[in-house]
Order: sequence, then structure tokens, then C-alpha cells
Amino acid sequence: MEQEKLLVNLVRVSLAILLLRCFYLQIIRFPYYSALSRKQSIRTIESGIPRGKILDRNGRVLAEDNPCFDLVFVPYDLKSPAEEAELLKGYIQMDRDKLREIFTRRYRNPFDRIVIKKNLSPEEVAVVSENAFRLPGIFVQTGIRRHYLLGKAAAHLLGHLGEISEEQLDRWKDRGLKAGDVIGQDGLERYYDDFLRGLPGGILVEVDALGHHRRILGEKELRPGHDLYLTVDRTFQEVAAEALGENEGCVVAMDPRNGQVLALVSWPAFDPENPEKALASSGKPFLNRVIQGQYPPGSVFKIVTEIAALETMSIEEHDRIECTGEMVVGDVVFHCWKEEGHGWLDINLALPFSCNIFFGTIGMKTGVARLLDYARLFHLGQPTGIDLPGEKSGLVPEVNQSGGPLNIAIGQGSLLTTPLQLLSLVASVANGGNIWKPYVVKKVISPTGKLVRDVTPQLLRTVYVTPETMEVLKRGLKNVVAFGTGSAAAVPGVEVAGKTGTAQRGTSETGMSTHGAFACYAPADNPSLSLVVFLDRGASKQAARIAGVILRKILLSLEEDGSGETAVSSGGTDEDF
Amino acid sequence: MKISERSPGQRLLVLTYVLICFGLVLLFSASKGTFTRTVSTFKGSGDLFFWQQLVWIVLGTAGLMLTRRFPYRNYRRLVWLLYPLTILLLLVVLLVGHGRAARWIRVGPFNFQPAELAKVVLVLSLAAYLTERDINRPAVFAGSLMLTALPAVLIFKQPNLGTAFLLVLVCLVMMFQAGLAPRRLLVIFILILVSSPLLWLTMEPYQKERILTFLWPQRDPFGRGYNLLQSKITIGSGGLIGKGYLHGTQTKLAFLPEYHTDFIFCLLAEEFGLLGVTIFLGLYYLFLKELLSVVSFTRDEFGRLVTTGLFAIFFLQAVINISMTLGLFPVAGIPLPFISYGGSFMLMALLAVGLLANIRENPVIF
Repeated sequence: MEQEKLLVNLVRVSLAILLLRCFYLQIIRFPYYSALSRKQSIRTIESGIPRGKILDRNGRVLAEDNPCFDLVFVPYDLKSPAEEAELLKGYIQMDRDKLREIFTRRYRNPFDRIVIKKNLSPEEVAVVSENAFRLPGIFVQTGIRRHYLLGKAAAHLLGHLGEISEEQLDRWKDRGLKAGDVIGQDGLERYYDDFLRGLPGGILVEVDALGHHRRILGEKELRPGHDLYLTVDRTFQEVAAEALGENEGCVVAMDPRNGQVLALVSWPAFDPENPEKALASSGKPFLNRVIQGQYPPGSVFKIVTEIAALETMSIEEHDRIECTGEMVVGDVVFHCWKEEGHGWLDINLALPFSCNIFFGTIGMKTGVARLLDYARLFHLGQPTGIDLPGEKSGLVPEVNQSGGPLNIAIGQGSLLTTPLQLLSLVASVANGGNIWKPYVVKKVISPTGKLVRDVTPQLLRTVYVTPETMEVLKRGLKNVVAFGTGSAAAVPGVEVAGKTGTAQRGTSETGMSTHGAFACYAPADNPSLSLVVFLDRGASKQAARIAGVILRKILLSLEEDGSGETAVSSGGTDEDF
Repeated sequence: MKISERSPGQRLLVLTYVLICFGLVLLFSASKGTFTRTVSTFKGSGDLFFWQQLVWIVLGTAGLMLTRRFPYRNYRRLVWLLYPLTILLLLVVLLVGHGRAARWIRVGPFNFQPAELAKVVLVLSLAAYLTERDINRPAVFAGSLMLTALPAVLIFKQPNLGTAFLLVLVCLVMMFQAGLAPRRLLVIFILILVSSPLLWLTMEPYQKERILTFLWPQRDPFGRGYNLLQSKITIGSGGLIGKGYLHGTQTKLAFLPEYHTDFIFCLLAEEFGLLGVTIFLGLYYLFLKELLSVVSFTRDEFGRLVTTGLFAIFFLQAVINISMTLGLFPVAGIPLPFISYGGSFMLMALLAVGLLANIRENPVIF
């Protein structure tokens, strides 16, 4: 048959080609390959992968890669592990047994370079280099280490790096990742890892007996990662961190006109360059309280109660209610925070003094279902969608699990919000009902300067509130700072509007702990800044005070130099990075 | 020979087992390398996979006895069951596969690769489909392509580019045997040329990079490029008579991670030199020629097509595998039949040989 003949010939030709190729490699090129094989002289030297930088909204660096010196060794070239360990322990701060353990461990490829110690000090580099002739197979090599310029102050925002875990490797096996790779493990480093991470490069070389490069057989250019430009302002971040100090809690600020996050601080924090040190410490240093802490909103929620009550016409602006310090509903006694009571007041005074009896009463008139509806309308109970990993959704409960209108009206019961959700709430009041999606990264730029991603503000929804209601609410919020519970946040020359909140957690038996919160915006009549200060343990007055410190520094520094260095002055639009 | 008159499949079986013994000898040597010692420390024994391979050979031999006896024309109807079953297995492996690349299904202590099953089942299905149909009718032509494309795409997704590519080639060889007009072959090439840029546009950058290094290993001097260089050094340094059995230095120091699987030809070339290579290629030539003689001998069209398809698998895999180690073809992850370590393929290969002997011994429809 014709076909079989053709196939037989195809077999003959193919096998002949293979045989000829073997003849070429094994006979004609034998001397060359035989020499290469005898001398074992092929080495691969991989370069580190430079990650992209993270910069603030004005192009000031927040995180970048710095060169460093690493001590490495090639197992195959090591002549006498015991002696070299003995020598080396005098040169670098390292235990002899630890060194011997590293030297005698079994490695898959005896020619791979193994790091003994990262980031050597200049003295260590000098002493190891001087004694290089005594240390065959051990040498200093340039490497890369990640430097976070703000340290702990931006730890939760930026995150940290770490070796890829088994589970991550399985999940992202298609992304070109391999065991031992270092990837972002938290914060922006994690969320934008695919952009920040570059592609590794390096060379394939033939070396001589002393390990010098003789010939480069292959080369792969590395590709640095993309740079991130944030909406965050570095000065603002520093001011916020300083003001919060050692208080357990968090600060988050955003431009209410577009959702750009200006500062995000959580405390306690970890050292992003040595995160493992924080593993043992208490106080949950890895918890980003801004997006992962879920707390009862407390009196800040009275903003929602007031809107719901006025909008549903459950009360009118000048309706007055008497606060005697307590009220009895069924067989439960309900207390105001002010024991002797506030006396007769209307909503214009009840908000600044944060009267629980007043808000409890109007909450009952409005009905718990409608309060919870308004909470959902303001996007509470679901993640805001910020571009950071691990955001929690908070909780807006069902009516029958809420704990009743009295509790919900003052932000207790089973309501839970993250500090970021409170910020989103107060920002939407500031801008007249628009709920913007908070975001941290404004632009992604490639190493060649190409715009890879350009983030524009995203309006999640607009809540319609009648102008009359808005006016009453905004006047009330101004008075909170002017003469009410938030007076500690007042800034000379700038009108600030805000709301304090204190929420109880735990029972009276186990010991109450109170959270203090302050949510505000400024300037009150033309807001360009919204801010939430949240304290895990502390009073709302203290939160207001911290907010005051931050506002004064940010707002006044603007007036003084007017250089446009901070975010608030720059109009908050997109053309200004 | 008297024996082969009574049992005409004998010659094929003898050649098969000679090749298998050849493979075991090489595999034993590979089990003495550094890599295998460090990797299989969990069992304390580097020759674990040597023994595993033996188990698969015993299992495969039992299977071979079955396929040699089972009237092969029944497969014409059985493929209606086998083909969907294979597709199902390929889907399962995509969803719950083990390891970095989803290729395996775990059955008790053994890992099984449905892609290996797919090779043989595709040959049977195509043969059944093309028997008594005219390949030059557009509908039949398109039908065969569809039949191939379904498993090929699923295997491509794993990702196992080499095997997917192999399926397409096997399909082409079978179409050719079925009498496909040369101009239709041209149509296929044009189709491939037209569709590849479209596919390219839909791919993620990292997928593109993977294809590029597949085609040009030197783009990645650490991964595939490094393997290729070491592979050439290993083969070249073997010279005319090799470094001697168990004395290969390259293979023992484990410059390549896969001396027992995809790169086992290097071990042959290093320890037995050009002489060993020539003997091996000679044996393999006899084996392939025997397969083609089965094709000529068979009067049954289904049997002829099945034999051609299986011939294509054995022929193409060997050529692709060896070309890869010699730097003539992109690195593809295709094992060397009867030689490379790998249970699923050894099992399928022995089942196929049983089937081939069966066809050789029942050349006429009664």
C-alpha cells in the first residue's frame, strides 16, 4: 500500500536524523561537551526581582527596593564546611552550629547559590571580602531588600512581603509563581502583588576552576514591577500616626468629594521589614482595624437615626422631648449618659449633646425596620469595596435580632460597623448623599512610564435626603464641635462638623470596655476632608481630641504655606499626582 | 519461523519486552542519582520508582493478555462508552487535579493520568468513526476534527501542550491513512495558522511567556534553557562508547530534574554512548516496522486504522521525546515509550501492544 510505504520512509528519515544529531553531539562535539561535563562548570545566577515602588499622591516614596549585600555559598564549591564555619562565625554575627547546619544540609542542585545571611553590614562585607581566599565557595553577592520609609506608621496600608505558602502556591499556580518566591502578604503589597512583582532575570555562565565567569551562555533580562501611586498623602499619614500615638485604635481620612483615602493608620502595628517579630506580641498587631475591626458604631449612628426620623416625618425639627436621665420601656430601664438628664430639648440640641433618651424615643417612633433600612441605604452592613485585602462587612441585623429600636437608635444592639464604614457615612453627609467607593491606589505606572491602570472615582450610590433634613443635620454636626460633645476637635479659624460615639462592649459582669469614636468633616460648609478616629479603649472625647490635633496640623499647615503639598489643598482631582 | 506462524503476534511481543528490559536497565541506573536520593528520602530508598515501574509492567502485562484475546471489533461499539468516559475523566482532572499542573487522578496508592488513556481512546474512536465513512466528505472531515479537538483542548488546559499537540498529529496521520486528499491537509494548516493569532490575543501575558519559552527555551536560561544545555552536555559527553553503566557523571549529579522520565534518553546516551543509541534506535525501528507490517497485513479497515493510530503514537512520541533532548524540538513533556518512568503510559502502551497483537492475529473478518 502506498500509505504504509510512505510511513516506513518517514520512520527511516526521522530516526536517521536523530542518529545524525547524536553523531554530531557525541563524536564531532565530543571534546567540547566532555570538557564541560568534566569541569562541572555551568552555573546559573539568578538576580532578585525588583518590585515596583509605592509612592504617595505627590510622588513621594513610601516603599522601595534597596540594594543590599547577601552572604551566599555554593554547596559544591565548599571545601571544608567545618573549618569555614569556624572562620565565618568570627566575621558575621552567627552561631557556628547554625552555620554548620546550613552547610551540611542537603540541597537539590549542588550548584545553586544558597543565602547564608541577608543584608550584611558594611563591616561584615569588608571582613568577608578581605578573607575571601580562606573561604572557597562562600562569597558576597548583591541582593535586594524592601525598605518601608514610614515603618510601622504605614504597616497596615502597605503590608509586608513573605515567602509564598503552600496554599498560595496551589491557588496561584498559573501566575508563574514557584516555591520560594517572595510575594506581598498583606495590604497593598498583597492586593496589587501582580502589578508590583517583576519577572526575575539572571545569567547562565560557564565558570573556570576559581569560579570566575568565562562565558555567558544565556541571559534573561529582569523586568521590574510596576509602580503604585496612591491617593494617600505621606505627610497626612505621618501626622495621623503621630497623633494616634500608642493608643490602640485607628485613624482613616478620605476626600468626601471622590472617595480618595488620604491616610490610613492602625495601631498596634508590625514592623513591615521584620514582620515575624510581631507574631508573638499581643494586641493583634496584624489586624487592620480600619477595615477588619467590627465594632458597635455607638452614637455616630445617631446621624442615621436623625435622617430616618426626619425623612419619615416621625418627628419634626422643633418637636421637644424631655430627658430626665432615664426612661422605662416595659420593664427595662433605659439610661441617658447624663445621669441628671438634659431636660427639654429638640433635635437641634439633642444631637450636639448626644442625648440617648431623645434618640431612643424618636427611634421608637420611627420603628426599627426603617432605621435598619436607612442603615443599609447608607451602605452599612456590606464591604465598601476598598482596594485592600480582607475587608469585613460589618453587620446590619434583621429586625428580630436587632435588640430593638432603643438600642439601634443609639448605635448599640447587634449593629456592627468598621471604622471605614463610619467614614463613608460621614463623608456622604459631607457631600450631600453621595457614597463614593473608597480607594487607595490612583495610578499604576510601568517602569517605562506607561499608564497601566488609571483609577477614577466610583460613585456607589446617591442617597436622596431632602435639603431641609440635610440642613438640620449639618447644623447639628457643626454644633457638636462648636459647643457639644466634640468640642475638643475644634480648630481655630476652620469650622469642623462631626459626631462623637462611645460604644460599650462586654457586660457589666465581665467588665465593660468602651470604644471611643469621632467622625467628622471639614471645612463644614465646603468639606474637602473627612476623618474618623477610633479608639479600642478610650473615650470619645479623647478621639475628638486626637482628631483635633490632626485637623489643626493638616488644615493650618495648608493655610500657612499654601504650597499644595498636602492633599486637601490640591482640589482632590486626578490631574495632580 | 515456526512459532510466528502459529502465533503471528509473537514477534511484536518479543520486541516490546526487549525494549521494556532496556528501559528497566536504564531506570535502575537513574535511581542511583543524587536527585532521586534526595527526593525520595521519604521512603528511604531511591529505587522506589524502579520497583513501582515493575509493578506497572506486571499490571500492564495482565492487561495485555486481555486485550490480546478480546475480539477487537467490539471496540467499534464500545467507543460510544469509552469516549464520553474519557472526556469525563479529563474534566474531573481539570477540576480536582493534583500537583502544580492538573494532570493526575489519585486511585489508591497510584496516580493516573487520563491524558494517556485519551490517546488510545481517541485512536479507537477516530478509527470507528472513519470506518465506512469517506474522509473526503466535508462533514466527515469536520467530524473527525471535532472528535480530536474536544480531548485536545481539555488536555491543553491542564496545561499539557505536548500531549494536546500529539493528539492533533495522530489525528492527521489517521486521516492520511483513511485516504484524505492532500489539499484537505492544506486546509488544516491554514486553519491552524489563522486561529493561532486569535488565540494569542486572548491570552494573559504569563501564558504568552510560557508559550514563547516552549518554542524558544533560550528565553529562559534557568528553566528550560538550562535543561536543554545540560541535556546536550550529557549526551555529548557520552562519546562513542559512553562512560559505562552506572558511571554517568551528569546524570548522577542530577543536573536535570527528570533523568528518569522525560530526559531518560540522555542517560542512555551518556552511559552507553553513540553505540547504545544506535542499538536502541535500531530496536525501535524494528518495532515500528512491525507495526506497519500489521497495517499491511490487516484486511479489516477498522483494524488498519487502529493500528495506524497506535503506530503514530509510538512513532511520534519517540521522535518528539528524543528530538527534545537533542535540542531539535521544544521541550514538551512527552515520555519515551517503554523507557521513561511513568505508570499510566506504561499501562496504556502494554494494553495497546496487546490490541495490536490481537489485530495481527485476526486479520480477516469472518
